[in-house]
Amino acid sequence: MAGLSETKGPVRRKKLKTNTGAGYAFLAPALLFYSIFFIYPVIFSFIVSTKRWNMLVPLSRARNVGFSEYSYLLRDQMFLGVFRNTLVYALATVSLTIVVALVLAVLINNAKLSVLWRFIYFAPVVTPQVAIGTIWGYLYRPNNGLFNSILRLFGIKPIYWLTDPNVALWSIIITAIWAGIGGSMLIITAGLKNIPQDYYDAAKIDGAGPFRQFFHITVPLLSPTLLFLTATGFIGAWQVFDLPFTMGRNAPARSVMTVSWYVYETAFQSLRMGRASAGAFLLFCVIFGFTLFILWLFRRGGIKGYE
Amino acid sequence: MNRKKVIRILLEIIRYVIIIFGAFWMILPFFWLFSASLMSPQELMSDVPKWLPEKPQWNNYLQVLKRIPILTYYKNSLIVAGSVTLLVLLTSSMAGFAFAKLRFLGRKILFSFVLSTMMFPVFIFLIPVYYLMKLFGWLNTYLSLIVPFAVSGYGIFLMRQFILTIPDELLDCARLDGAKEFKIYTWIILPLIKPALATLAILTFIGQWNSFLWPLIVTSTAQRLMTLPVGISRLSLAFSTVETQHLILTALVYQVIPMVVVFLYLQRYYIRGFVLSGFGNL
Repeated sequence: MAGLSETKGPVRRKKLKTNTGAGYAFLAPALLFYSIFFIYPVIFSFIVSTKRWNMLVPLSRARNVGFSEYSYLLRDQMFLGVFRNTLVYALATVSLTIVVALVLAVLINNAKLSVLWRFIYFAPVVTPQVAIGTIWGYLYRPNNGLFNSILRLFGIKPIYWLTDPNVALWSIIITAIWAGIGGSMLIITAGLKNIPQDYYDAAKIDGAGPFRQFFHITVPLLSPTLLFLTATGFIGAWQVFDLPFTMGRNAPARSVMTVSWYVYETAFQSLRMGRASAGAFLLFCVIFGFTLFILWLFRRGGIKGYE
Repeated sequence: MNRKKVIRILLEIIRYVIIIFGAFWMILPFFWLFSASLMSPQELMSDVPKWLPEKPQWNNYLQVLKRIPILTYYKNSLIVAGSVTLLVLLTSSMAGFAFAKLRFLGRKILFSFVLSTMMFPVFIFLIPVYYLMKLFGWLNTYLSLIVPFAVSGYGIFLMRQFILTIPDELLDCARLDGAKEFKIYTWIILPLIKPALATLAILTFIGQWNSFLWPLIVTSTAQRLMTLPVGISRLSLAFSTVETQHLILTALVYQVIPMVVVFLYLQRYYIRGFVLSGFGNL
Protein backbone atom coordinates (compact mmCIF):
# COMPACT_ATOMS: atom_id res chain seq x y z
CA MET A 1 0.00 0.00 0.00
CA ALA A 2 1.61 3.19 -1.20
CA GLY A 3 0.31 5.57 1.40
CA LEU A 4 1.17 3.56 4.47
CA SER A 5 4.92 3.32 4.11
CA GLU A 6 7.12 6.37 4.42
CA THR A 7 7.59 7.43 0.83
CA LYS A 8 9.28 10.74 1.47
CA GLY A 9 13.01 11.03 0.95
CA PRO A 10 15.36 12.19 3.72
CA VAL A 11 15.64 15.70 2.23
CA ARG A 12 11.94 16.37 2.50
CA ARG A 13 11.67 14.77 5.88
CA LYS A 14 14.03 17.36 7.34
CA LYS A 15 11.49 20.07 6.55
CA LEU A 16 9.00 18.53 8.96
CA LYS A 17 10.09 20.11 12.24
CA THR A 18 9.77 18.04 15.37
CA ASN A 19 6.80 19.42 17.20
CA THR A 20 5.97 17.14 20.10
CA GLY A 21 3.64 19.57 21.86
CA ALA A 22 1.36 20.08 18.88
CA GLY A 23 1.47 16.39 18.00
CA TYR A 24 0.21 15.29 21.38
CA ALA A 25 -2.29 18.14 21.56
CA PHE A 26 -3.99 16.88 18.40
CA LEU A 27 -3.80 13.29 19.61
CA ALA A 28 -5.09 14.13 23.08
CA PRO A 29 -8.78 13.26 22.49
CA ALA A 30 -7.91 9.96 20.82
CA LEU A 31 -5.32 9.01 23.45
CA LEU A 32 -7.68 9.87 26.30
CA PHE A 33 -10.37 7.78 24.64
CA TYR A 34 -8.09 4.80 24.07
CA SER A 35 -6.88 4.77 27.65
CA ILE A 36 -10.43 4.79 29.05
CA PHE A 37 -12.26 2.70 26.46
CA PHE A 38 -9.53 0.42 25.18
CA ILE A 39 -6.54 -0.17 27.46
CA TYR A 40 -8.44 -0.07 30.73
CA PRO A 41 -11.22 -2.40 29.48
CA VAL A 42 -8.77 -4.97 28.11
CA ILE A 43 -6.93 -5.15 31.45
CA PHE A 44 -10.16 -5.01 33.45
CA SER A 45 -11.64 -7.75 31.31
CA PHE A 46 -8.66 -10.00 31.91
CA ILE A 47 -8.86 -9.47 35.67
CA VAL A 48 -12.59 -10.21 35.61
CA SER A 49 -11.92 -13.47 33.78
CA THR A 50 -10.10 -14.74 36.88
CA LYS A 51 -12.96 -13.88 39.26
CA ARG A 52 -16.44 -15.00 40.10
CA TRP A 53 -18.35 -11.75 39.74
CA ASN A 54 -21.93 -10.74 38.94
CA MET A 55 -21.38 -6.96 38.60
CA LEU A 56 -23.83 -6.33 41.44
CA VAL A 57 -21.08 -6.06 44.07
CA PRO A 58 -17.78 -4.14 43.74
CA LEU A 59 -15.12 -6.11 41.89
CA SER A 60 -12.84 -6.04 44.92
CA ARG A 61 -15.34 -8.19 46.82
CA ALA A 62 -15.45 -10.82 44.06
CA ARG A 63 -13.89 -14.22 44.77
CA ASN A 64 -10.65 -15.04 43.01
CA VAL A 65 -10.85 -18.25 41.01
CA GLY A 66 -7.63 -18.09 39.02
CA PHE A 67 -7.81 -19.69 35.61
CA SER A 68 -10.53 -22.16 36.54
CA GLU A 69 -13.05 -20.52 34.18
CA TYR A 70 -10.67 -21.05 31.29
CA SER A 71 -10.16 -24.72 32.06
CA TYR A 72 -13.91 -25.09 32.61
CA LEU A 73 -14.69 -23.59 29.19
CA LEU A 74 -12.13 -25.72 27.39
CA ARG A 75 -13.91 -28.83 28.71
CA ASP A 76 -17.46 -27.46 28.35
CA GLN A 77 -19.29 -29.11 25.46
CA MET A 78 -21.56 -26.12 25.06
CA PHE A 79 -18.74 -23.61 24.75
CA LEU A 80 -16.83 -25.85 22.36
CA GLY A 81 -19.99 -26.05 20.24
CA VAL A 82 -20.29 -22.27 20.28
CA PHE A 83 -16.66 -22.06 19.30
CA ARG A 84 -17.14 -24.53 16.44
CA ASN A 85 -20.21 -22.61 15.17
CA THR A 86 -18.25 -19.37 15.08
CA LEU A 87 -15.36 -21.04 13.27
CA VAL A 88 -17.60 -22.68 10.66
CA TYR A 89 -19.55 -19.47 10.19
CA ALA A 90 -16.44 -17.33 9.71
CA LEU A 91 -14.64 -19.71 7.35
CA ALA A 92 -17.70 -20.40 5.21
CA THR A 93 -19.05 -16.86 5.09
CA VAL A 94 -15.78 -15.11 4.32
CA SER A 95 -14.55 -17.53 1.67
CA LEU A 96 -17.89 -18.05 -0.09
CA THR A 97 -18.77 -14.34 -0.04
CA ILE A 98 -15.46 -13.45 -1.67
CA VAL A 99 -15.73 -16.17 -4.32
CA VAL A 100 -19.31 -15.29 -5.26
CA ALA A 101 -18.59 -11.55 -5.18
CA LEU A 102 -15.48 -12.00 -7.32
CA VAL A 103 -17.32 -13.96 -10.00
CA LEU A 104 -20.25 -11.54 -10.02
CA ALA A 105 -18.03 -8.45 -10.05
CA VAL A 106 -16.14 -9.76 -13.06
CA LEU A 107 -19.37 -10.66 -14.85
CA ILE A 108 -20.99 -7.30 -14.10
CA ASN A 109 -17.89 -5.22 -14.87
CA ASN A 110 -18.49 -3.66 -18.32
CA ALA A 111 -21.85 -5.42 -18.59
CA LYS A 112 -24.89 -3.54 -19.82
CA LEU A 113 -26.75 -1.78 -16.98
CA SER A 114 -23.81 -2.41 -14.62
CA VAL A 115 -24.85 0.52 -12.41
CA LEU A 116 -28.31 -0.97 -11.96
CA TRP A 117 -26.92 -4.42 -11.09
CA ARG A 118 -24.54 -2.96 -8.52
CA PHE A 119 -27.43 -1.03 -6.97
CA ILE A 120 -29.45 -4.20 -6.63
CA TYR A 121 -26.64 -6.26 -5.14
CA PHE A 122 -25.71 -3.43 -2.77
CA ALA A 123 -29.15 -2.97 -1.17
CA PRO A 124 -28.70 -5.49 1.69
CA VAL A 125 -25.43 -3.85 2.75
CA VAL A 126 -27.29 -0.80 4.03
CA THR A 127 -30.18 -2.77 5.50
CA PRO A 128 -29.97 -3.46 9.24
CA GLN A 129 -28.93 -7.09 9.80
CA VAL A 130 -31.67 -7.44 12.37
CA ALA A 131 -34.24 -6.64 9.69
CA ILE A 132 -32.57 -9.03 7.23
CA GLY A 133 -32.64 -11.78 9.82
CA THR A 134 -36.33 -11.25 10.52
CA ILE A 135 -37.31 -11.23 6.84
CA TRP A 136 -35.32 -14.37 6.09
CA GLY A 137 -36.83 -15.99 9.17
CA TYR A 138 -40.20 -15.72 7.43
CA LEU A 139 -38.87 -16.94 4.08
CA TYR A 140 -37.36 -19.97 5.85
CA ARG A 141 -40.62 -21.00 7.59
CA PRO A 142 -41.01 -24.78 7.20
CA ASN A 143 -44.71 -25.01 6.27
CA ASN A 144 -45.73 -21.68 4.82
CA GLY A 145 -42.38 -20.14 3.90
CA LEU A 146 -41.59 -19.04 0.38
CA PHE A 147 -38.43 -21.14 -0.04
CA ASN A 148 -40.06 -24.44 0.77
CA SER A 149 -42.97 -23.63 -1.52
CA ILE A 150 -40.49 -23.05 -4.35
CA LEU A 151 -38.78 -26.35 -3.53
CA ARG A 152 -42.18 -28.05 -3.61
CA LEU A 153 -42.58 -26.91 -7.22
CA PHE A 154 -39.58 -29.08 -8.04
CA GLY A 155 -40.87 -31.95 -5.95
CA ILE A 156 -38.32 -31.49 -3.18
CA LYS A 157 -39.37 -32.26 0.38
CA PRO A 158 -39.56 -29.27 2.75
CA ILE A 159 -36.32 -28.38 4.54
CA TYR A 160 -36.42 -27.38 8.19
CA TRP A 161 -34.14 -24.42 7.53
CA LEU A 162 -33.93 -22.96 11.02
CA THR A 163 -35.12 -25.82 13.22
CA ASP A 164 -32.96 -28.72 12.01
CA PRO A 165 -29.72 -28.50 14.05
CA ASN A 166 -27.67 -29.77 11.10
CA VAL A 167 -29.06 -27.17 8.72
CA ALA A 168 -29.72 -24.05 10.81
CA LEU A 169 -26.17 -22.69 10.86
CA TRP A 170 -25.88 -23.11 7.10
CA SER A 171 -29.18 -21.32 6.54
CA ILE A 172 -27.77 -18.37 8.47
CA ILE A 173 -24.55 -18.56 6.45
CA ILE A 174 -26.58 -18.37 3.22
CA THR A 175 -28.30 -15.24 4.53
CA ALA A 176 -24.97 -13.72 5.56
CA ILE A 177 -23.53 -14.34 2.09
CA TRP A 178 -26.63 -12.82 0.50
CA ALA A 179 -26.19 -9.77 2.70
CA GLY A 180 -22.44 -9.42 2.17
CA ILE A 181 -21.98 -9.93 -1.58
CA GLY A 182 -22.74 -6.31 -2.50
CA GLY A 183 -20.11 -4.73 -0.26
CA SER A 184 -17.33 -7.08 -1.40
CA MET A 185 -18.43 -6.66 -5.00
CA LEU A 186 -18.01 -2.89 -4.88
CA ILE A 187 -14.54 -3.20 -3.45
CA ILE A 188 -13.53 -5.82 -6.02
CA THR A 189 -14.94 -3.65 -8.81
CA ALA A 190 -12.76 -0.77 -7.62
CA GLY A 191 -9.78 -3.12 -7.84
CA LEU A 192 -10.80 -4.34 -11.30
CA LYS A 193 -10.83 -0.80 -12.67
CA ASN A 194 -7.20 -0.55 -11.62
CA ILE A 195 -6.01 -3.38 -13.86
CA PRO A 196 -4.73 -1.92 -17.16
CA GLN A 197 -6.79 -2.99 -20.15
CA ASP A 198 -3.51 -3.61 -22.07
CA TYR A 199 -2.95 -6.84 -20.14
CA TYR A 200 -6.23 -8.26 -21.41
CA ASP A 201 -5.56 -7.05 -24.94
CA ALA A 202 -2.15 -8.72 -24.94
CA ALA A 203 -3.66 -11.92 -23.57
CA LYS A 204 -6.29 -11.92 -26.30
CA ILE A 205 -3.63 -11.60 -28.99
CA ASP A 206 -1.89 -14.60 -27.46
CA GLY A 207 -5.17 -16.46 -27.77
CA ALA A 208 -6.11 -16.67 -24.05
CA GLY A 209 -9.85 -17.25 -23.48
CA PRO A 210 -11.92 -15.56 -20.75
CA PHE A 211 -11.20 -18.29 -18.19
CA ARG A 212 -7.43 -18.10 -18.62
CA GLN A 213 -7.63 -14.31 -18.45
CA PHE A 214 -9.55 -14.61 -15.19
CA PHE A 215 -7.09 -16.97 -13.51
CA HIS A 216 -3.86 -15.56 -14.94
CA ILE A 217 -4.55 -11.81 -14.94
CA THR A 218 -7.58 -10.86 -12.85
CA VAL A 219 -7.02 -13.03 -9.78
CA PRO A 220 -3.26 -12.40 -9.34
CA LEU A 221 -3.59 -8.65 -9.87
CA LEU A 222 -6.52 -8.47 -7.47
CA SER A 223 -4.70 -10.27 -4.68
CA PRO A 224 -4.10 -7.15 -2.52
CA THR A 225 -7.84 -6.44 -2.72
CA LEU A 226 -8.66 -10.05 -1.88
CA LEU A 227 -6.29 -9.93 1.08
CA PHE A 228 -8.01 -6.79 2.34
CA LEU A 229 -11.41 -8.48 2.03
CA THR A 230 -10.17 -11.64 3.74
CA ALA A 231 -8.57 -9.83 6.68
CA THR A 232 -11.44 -7.43 7.32
CA GLY A 233 -14.02 -10.10 6.55
CA PHE A 234 -12.67 -12.44 9.21
CA ILE A 235 -12.42 -9.71 11.83
CA GLY A 236 -16.12 -8.96 11.25
CA ALA A 237 -17.20 -12.61 11.00
CA TRP A 238 -15.65 -13.72 14.31
CA GLN A 239 -17.86 -11.22 16.15
CA VAL A 240 -21.09 -12.02 14.34
CA PHE A 241 -24.14 -11.54 16.53
CA ASP A 242 -27.11 -9.95 14.76
CA LEU A 243 -28.04 -12.68 12.26
CA PRO A 244 -27.69 -15.75 14.51
CA PHE A 245 -29.40 -13.93 17.37
CA THR A 246 -32.43 -12.88 15.31
CA MET A 247 -32.73 -16.06 13.22
CA GLY A 248 -31.58 -18.74 15.62
CA ARG A 249 -33.70 -18.15 18.68
CA ASN A 250 -35.84 -21.15 17.84
CA ALA A 251 -32.95 -23.34 16.72
CA PRO A 252 -32.59 -26.44 18.90
CA ALA A 253 -29.82 -27.04 21.43
CA ARG A 254 -27.97 -23.84 20.64
CA SER A 255 -26.86 -25.19 17.31
CA VAL A 256 -26.28 -21.68 15.98
CA MET A 257 -25.00 -19.83 19.04
CA THR A 258 -21.86 -17.78 18.32
CA VAL A 259 -19.24 -16.43 20.70
CA SER A 260 -20.68 -12.88 20.77
CA TRP A 261 -24.07 -14.31 21.63
CA TYR A 262 -22.52 -16.57 24.27
CA VAL A 263 -20.74 -13.62 25.89
CA TYR A 264 -23.94 -11.56 25.77
CA GLU A 265 -26.02 -14.30 27.35
CA THR A 266 -23.46 -15.41 29.93
CA ALA A 267 -22.72 -11.85 31.03
CA PHE A 268 -26.04 -10.04 30.78
CA GLN A 269 -28.57 -12.85 31.27
CA SER A 270 -26.75 -15.23 33.64
CA LEU A 271 -24.55 -12.53 35.22
CA ARG A 272 -21.42 -14.71 35.06
CA MET A 273 -18.96 -11.95 34.16
CA GLY A 274 -15.87 -14.09 34.79
CA ARG A 275 -16.91 -16.94 32.55
CA ALA A 276 -18.03 -14.56 29.80
CA SER A 277 -14.73 -12.67 29.90
CA ALA A 278 -12.74 -15.89 29.79
CA GLY A 279 -14.70 -17.03 26.74
CA ALA A 280 -14.12 -13.68 25.05
CA PHE A 281 -10.39 -13.88 25.70
CA LEU A 282 -10.13 -17.43 24.42
CA LEU A 283 -11.67 -16.49 21.09
CA PHE A 284 -9.60 -13.34 20.91
CA CYS A 285 -6.41 -15.40 21.13
CA VAL A 286 -7.64 -17.54 18.25
CA ILE A 287 -8.56 -14.48 16.16
CA PHE A 288 -5.20 -12.91 16.83
CA GLY A 289 -3.28 -16.00 15.80
CA PHE A 290 -5.49 -16.51 12.80
CA THR A 291 -5.05 -12.94 11.50
CA LEU A 292 -1.28 -13.21 11.81
CA PHE A 293 -1.45 -16.54 10.00
CA ILE A 294 -3.46 -15.06 7.11
CA LEU A 295 -1.06 -12.14 6.76
CA TRP A 296 1.91 -14.54 6.83
CA LEU A 297 0.25 -16.77 4.25
CA PHE A 298 -0.32 -13.90 1.86
CA ARG A 299 3.12 -12.45 2.41
CA ARG A 300 4.66 -15.81 1.56
CA GLY A 301 2.75 -15.53 -1.70
CA GLY A 302 4.39 -12.17 -2.26
CA ILE A 303 1.42 -9.99 -1.39
CA LYS A 304 1.97 -7.05 0.92
CA GLY A 305 -1.32 -5.30 0.58
CA TYR A 306 -2.52 -4.75 4.10
CA GLU A 307 -0.24 -4.22 7.03
CA MET B 1 -14.19 -18.74 -37.04
CA ASN B 2 -17.88 -19.35 -36.96
CA ARG B 3 -17.58 -21.75 -34.06
CA LYS B 4 -15.70 -19.13 -32.05
CA LYS B 5 -18.48 -16.64 -32.60
CA VAL B 6 -21.12 -19.10 -31.41
CA ILE B 7 -19.14 -19.82 -28.27
CA ARG B 8 -18.74 -16.12 -27.56
CA ILE B 9 -22.46 -15.47 -27.92
CA LEU B 10 -23.21 -18.47 -25.72
CA LEU B 11 -20.85 -17.17 -23.03
CA GLU B 12 -22.53 -13.77 -23.17
CA ILE B 13 -25.93 -15.39 -22.71
CA ILE B 14 -24.69 -17.43 -19.75
CA ARG B 15 -23.20 -14.27 -18.27
CA TYR B 16 -26.49 -12.38 -18.32
CA VAL B 17 -28.46 -15.40 -17.13
CA ILE B 18 -26.21 -15.56 -14.06
CA ILE B 19 -26.42 -11.80 -13.41
CA ILE B 20 -30.21 -11.75 -13.71
CA PHE B 21 -30.65 -14.94 -11.71
CA GLY B 22 -28.55 -13.42 -8.93
CA ALA B 23 -30.41 -10.13 -9.09
CA PHE B 24 -33.70 -12.03 -8.78
CA TRP B 25 -32.56 -13.57 -5.48
CA MET B 26 -31.29 -10.22 -4.25
CA ILE B 27 -34.64 -8.55 -4.87
CA LEU B 28 -36.88 -11.42 -3.80
CA PRO B 29 -36.69 -10.88 0.00
CA PHE B 30 -37.34 -7.15 -0.40
CA PHE B 31 -40.18 -7.73 -2.83
CA TRP B 32 -41.75 -10.33 -0.58
CA LEU B 33 -41.38 -8.08 2.48
CA PHE B 34 -43.25 -5.28 0.75
CA SER B 35 -45.91 -7.62 -0.56
CA ALA B 36 -46.37 -9.37 2.80
CA SER B 37 -46.58 -6.04 4.61
CA LEU B 38 -49.94 -5.55 2.85
CA MET B 39 -51.34 -8.99 3.60
CA SER B 40 -54.03 -9.98 6.05
CA PRO B 41 -53.02 -12.35 8.89
CA GLN B 42 -54.82 -15.24 7.17
CA GLU B 43 -52.93 -14.71 3.93
CA LEU B 44 -49.58 -14.58 5.69
CA MET B 45 -50.28 -17.83 7.54
CA SER B 46 -51.92 -19.73 4.67
CA ASP B 47 -50.45 -23.14 3.84
CA VAL B 48 -49.78 -22.14 0.25
CA PRO B 49 -47.59 -19.04 0.54
CA LYS B 50 -48.89 -16.11 -1.47
CA TRP B 51 -46.67 -13.88 -3.59
CA LEU B 52 -49.15 -11.00 -3.62
CA PRO B 53 -51.99 -9.97 -1.30
CA GLU B 54 -55.44 -10.40 -2.79
CA LYS B 55 -56.57 -7.05 -1.45
CA PRO B 56 -53.72 -4.79 -0.23
CA GLN B 57 -54.29 -3.91 3.43
CA TRP B 58 -52.90 -0.36 3.49
CA ASN B 59 -54.44 -0.05 6.91
CA ASN B 60 -51.57 -2.19 8.24
CA TYR B 61 -49.29 0.82 8.03
CA LEU B 62 -51.58 2.91 10.22
CA GLN B 63 -51.96 0.08 12.70
CA VAL B 64 -48.18 -0.13 13.18
CA LEU B 65 -47.88 3.59 13.87
CA LYS B 66 -50.58 3.28 16.49
CA ARG B 67 -49.08 0.27 18.25
CA ILE B 68 -45.34 0.88 18.48
CA PRO B 69 -43.30 4.08 19.00
CA ILE B 70 -41.51 3.87 15.67
CA LEU B 71 -40.95 7.63 15.54
CA THR B 72 -39.16 7.48 18.90
CA TYR B 73 -36.91 4.73 17.54
CA TYR B 74 -36.16 6.93 14.55
CA LYS B 75 -35.39 9.91 16.75
CA ASN B 76 -33.05 7.90 18.99
CA SER B 77 -31.22 6.37 16.04
CA LEU B 78 -30.78 9.79 14.45
CA ILE B 79 -29.45 11.35 17.67
CA VAL B 80 -27.03 8.51 18.35
CA ALA B 81 -25.77 7.98 14.80
CA GLY B 82 -25.53 11.73 14.19
CA SER B 83 -23.59 12.49 17.38
CA VAL B 84 -21.20 9.57 16.92
CA THR B 85 -20.56 10.64 13.34
CA LEU B 86 -19.71 14.22 14.35
CA LEU B 87 -17.39 13.06 17.12
CA VAL B 88 -15.65 10.54 14.88
CA LEU B 89 -15.10 13.18 12.18
CA LEU B 90 -13.53 15.52 14.72
CA THR B 91 -11.30 13.03 16.52
CA SER B 92 -10.24 11.22 13.34
CA SER B 93 -9.27 14.35 11.44
CA MET B 94 -7.30 15.68 14.42
CA ALA B 95 -5.42 12.45 15.02
CA GLY B 96 -5.02 11.87 11.29
CA PHE B 97 -3.45 15.32 10.96
CA ALA B 98 -1.01 14.60 13.78
CA PHE B 99 0.03 11.25 12.32
CA ALA B 100 0.38 12.58 8.77
CA LYS B 101 1.90 16.01 9.21
CA LEU B 102 3.44 16.45 12.65
CA ARG B 103 6.66 14.90 13.90
CA PHE B 104 6.82 13.84 17.51
CA LEU B 105 8.28 11.17 19.71
CA GLY B 106 6.42 7.86 19.52
CA ARG B 107 4.48 8.67 16.38
CA LYS B 108 5.14 5.35 14.68
CA ILE B 109 4.40 3.25 17.74
CA LEU B 110 1.18 5.11 18.46
CA PHE B 111 0.03 4.71 14.87
CA SER B 112 0.71 0.97 14.96
CA PHE B 113 -1.27 0.87 18.19
CA VAL B 114 -4.23 2.61 16.55
CA LEU B 115 -4.14 0.14 13.66
CA SER B 116 -3.99 -2.82 16.02
CA THR B 117 -7.08 -1.67 17.93
CA MET B 118 -9.10 -2.57 14.85
CA MET B 119 -8.25 -6.22 15.45
CA PHE B 120 -9.93 -6.39 18.84
CA PRO B 121 -13.40 -7.92 18.76
CA VAL B 122 -16.29 -6.00 20.30
CA PHE B 123 -17.21 -8.78 22.71
CA ILE B 124 -14.09 -8.17 24.82
CA PHE B 125 -15.36 -4.68 25.63
CA LEU B 126 -18.99 -5.41 26.47
CA ILE B 127 -18.52 -6.12 30.18
CA PRO B 128 -15.88 -3.51 31.10
CA VAL B 129 -17.49 -0.69 29.14
CA TYR B 130 -20.92 -1.50 30.55
CA TYR B 131 -19.35 -1.36 33.99
CA LEU B 132 -17.78 2.01 33.15
CA MET B 133 -21.14 3.36 32.00
CA LYS B 134 -22.65 2.25 35.28
CA LEU B 135 -19.77 3.84 37.18
CA PHE B 136 -20.13 7.15 35.32
CA GLY B 137 -23.89 7.09 35.85
CA TRP B 138 -24.42 7.21 32.09
CA LEU B 139 -26.78 4.26 31.80
CA ASN B 140 -30.25 5.48 30.85
CA THR B 141 -28.74 8.41 28.94
CA TYR B 142 -27.69 8.88 25.32
CA LEU B 143 -24.09 9.22 26.51
CA SER B 144 -23.81 5.47 27.01
CA LEU B 145 -24.74 4.94 23.35
CA ILE B 146 -22.52 7.69 21.96
CA VAL B 147 -19.29 8.17 23.90
CA PRO B 148 -17.91 4.58 23.63
CA PHE B 149 -17.82 5.06 19.83
CA ALA B 150 -16.35 8.57 19.73
CA VAL B 151 -12.99 7.45 18.31
CA SER B 152 -12.52 5.04 15.41
CA GLY B 153 -9.25 3.40 14.45
CA TYR B 154 -10.44 3.03 10.89
CA GLY B 155 -11.39 6.72 10.80
CA ILE B 156 -7.94 7.80 11.98
CA PHE B 157 -6.32 5.52 9.40
CA LEU B 158 -8.52 6.89 6.60
CA MET B 159 -7.87 10.52 7.51
CA ARG B 160 -4.12 9.97 7.78
CA GLN B 161 -4.02 8.39 4.34
CA PHE B 162 -5.84 11.34 2.84
CA ILE B 163 -3.94 14.08 4.67
CA LEU B 164 -0.63 12.50 3.56
CA THR B 165 -1.50 13.52 -0.02
CA ILE B 166 -1.59 17.23 0.93
CA PRO B 167 1.80 18.75 0.00
CA ASP B 168 4.03 19.78 2.92
CA GLU B 169 5.00 22.99 1.11
CA LEU B 170 1.49 24.29 1.58
CA LEU B 171 1.72 23.89 5.34
CA ASP B 172 5.26 25.29 5.47
CA CYS B 173 4.13 28.45 3.67
CA ALA B 174 1.47 28.96 6.29
CA ARG B 175 4.00 28.31 9.06
CA LEU B 176 6.35 30.93 7.58
CA ASP B 177 3.47 33.36 7.73
CA GLY B 178 3.29 32.64 11.43
CA ALA B 179 0.30 30.30 11.50
CA LYS B 180 0.08 27.98 14.50
CA GLU B 181 -0.72 24.28 13.98
CA PHE B 182 -4.28 24.74 15.15
CA LYS B 183 -4.85 27.38 12.49
CA ILE B 184 -3.31 25.12 9.85
CA TYR B 185 -5.71 22.37 10.88
CA THR B 186 -8.82 24.54 10.73
CA TRP B 187 -7.93 26.73 7.73
CA ILE B 188 -5.98 24.40 5.46
CA ILE B 189 -6.49 20.75 6.40
CA LEU B 190 -10.22 20.67 7.12
CA PRO B 191 -11.32 22.42 3.89
CA LEU B 192 -9.03 20.19 1.80
CA ILE B 193 -10.26 16.89 3.26
CA LYS B 194 -13.97 17.53 2.85
CA PRO B 195 -14.45 14.62 0.40
CA ALA B 196 -12.74 12.21 2.79
CA LEU B 197 -14.82 13.54 5.67
CA ALA B 198 -17.99 12.93 3.67
CA THR B 199 -16.96 9.33 3.08
CA LEU B 200 -16.10 8.73 6.71
CA ALA B 201 -19.39 10.33 7.73
CA ILE B 202 -21.41 7.95 5.57
CA LEU B 203 -19.52 4.86 6.73
CA THR B 204 -19.82 5.81 10.39
CA PHE B 205 -23.47 6.73 10.09
CA ILE B 206 -24.43 3.47 8.37
CA GLY B 207 -22.48 1.48 10.94
CA GLN B 208 -24.14 3.23 13.87
CA TRP B 209 -27.59 3.21 12.32
CA ASN B 210 -27.45 -0.57 11.98
CA SER B 211 -25.56 -1.28 15.19
CA PHE B 212 -27.43 -3.71 17.40
CA LEU B 213 -25.52 -5.54 20.14
CA TRP B 214 -24.42 -2.58 22.26
CA PRO B 215 -27.75 -0.69 22.10
CA LEU B 216 -29.49 -3.95 22.97
CA ILE B 217 -27.43 -4.26 26.15
CA VAL B 218 -27.53 -0.62 27.20
CA THR B 219 -31.21 0.07 26.52
CA SER B 220 -32.48 -3.12 28.13
CA THR B 221 -33.37 -1.03 31.18
CA ALA B 222 -34.31 2.15 29.27
CA GLN B 223 -37.01 1.59 26.70
CA ARG B 224 -37.27 5.26 25.77
CA LEU B 225 -33.68 5.16 24.44
CA MET B 226 -34.18 2.19 22.14
CA THR B 227 -32.79 2.58 18.63
CA LEU B 228 -34.32 1.15 15.46
CA PRO B 229 -32.54 -2.22 15.39
CA VAL B 230 -33.41 -2.86 19.04
CA GLY B 231 -36.99 -1.88 18.29
CA ILE B 232 -37.07 -4.31 15.35
CA SER B 233 -35.75 -7.14 17.46
CA ARG B 234 -38.60 -6.64 19.92
CA LEU B 235 -41.36 -6.61 17.33
CA SER B 236 -42.27 -10.22 18.01
CA LEU B 237 -42.98 -9.18 21.59
CA ALA B 238 -45.10 -6.20 20.54
CA PHE B 239 -47.10 -8.21 17.99
CA SER B 240 -47.37 -11.57 19.69
CA THR B 241 -51.05 -12.32 19.12
CA VAL B 242 -52.36 -14.04 16.00
CA GLU B 243 -54.34 -10.98 14.92
CA THR B 244 -51.31 -8.70 15.02
CA GLN B 245 -48.49 -11.01 13.91
CA HIS B 246 -48.62 -9.86 10.31
CA LEU B 247 -47.82 -6.30 11.41
CA ILE B 248 -44.22 -7.30 12.17
CA LEU B 249 -43.52 -7.26 8.45
CA THR B 250 -45.27 -3.93 7.96
CA ALA B 251 -43.15 -2.43 10.73
CA LEU B 252 -40.03 -3.77 9.02
CA VAL B 253 -40.87 -1.83 5.87
CA TYR B 254 -40.82 1.38 7.90
CA GLN B 255 -37.32 0.54 8.96
CA VAL B 256 -35.85 -0.92 5.79
CA ILE B 257 -37.08 1.20 2.90
CA PRO B 258 -35.94 4.73 3.88
CA MET B 259 -32.36 3.65 4.54
CA VAL B 260 -32.07 1.59 1.40
CA VAL B 261 -33.32 4.49 -0.71
CA VAL B 262 -31.05 7.07 0.92
CA PHE B 263 -27.93 4.97 1.07
CA LEU B 264 -28.19 3.47 -2.38
CA TYR B 265 -27.90 7.01 -3.60
CA LEU B 266 -24.76 7.47 -1.53
CA GLN B 267 -22.97 4.27 -2.49
CA ARG B 268 -20.20 6.11 -4.35
CA TYR B 269 -18.96 7.49 -1.02
CA TYR B 270 -18.72 3.95 0.24
CA ILE B 271 -16.46 3.06 -2.67
CA ARG B 272 -14.37 6.17 -2.16
CA GLY B 273 -13.57 5.16 1.40
CA PHE B 274 -12.01 2.03 0.03
CA VAL B 275 -10.14 3.88 -2.69
CA LEU B 276 -8.77 6.32 -0.12
CA SER B 277 -7.34 3.53 1.97
CA GLY B 278 -5.09 2.72 -0.94
CA PHE B 279 -6.78 0.14 -3.16
CA GLY B 280 -8.05 0.52 -6.67
CA ASN B 281 -9.79 3.49 -8.11
CA LEU B 282 -13.23 4.10 -9.48
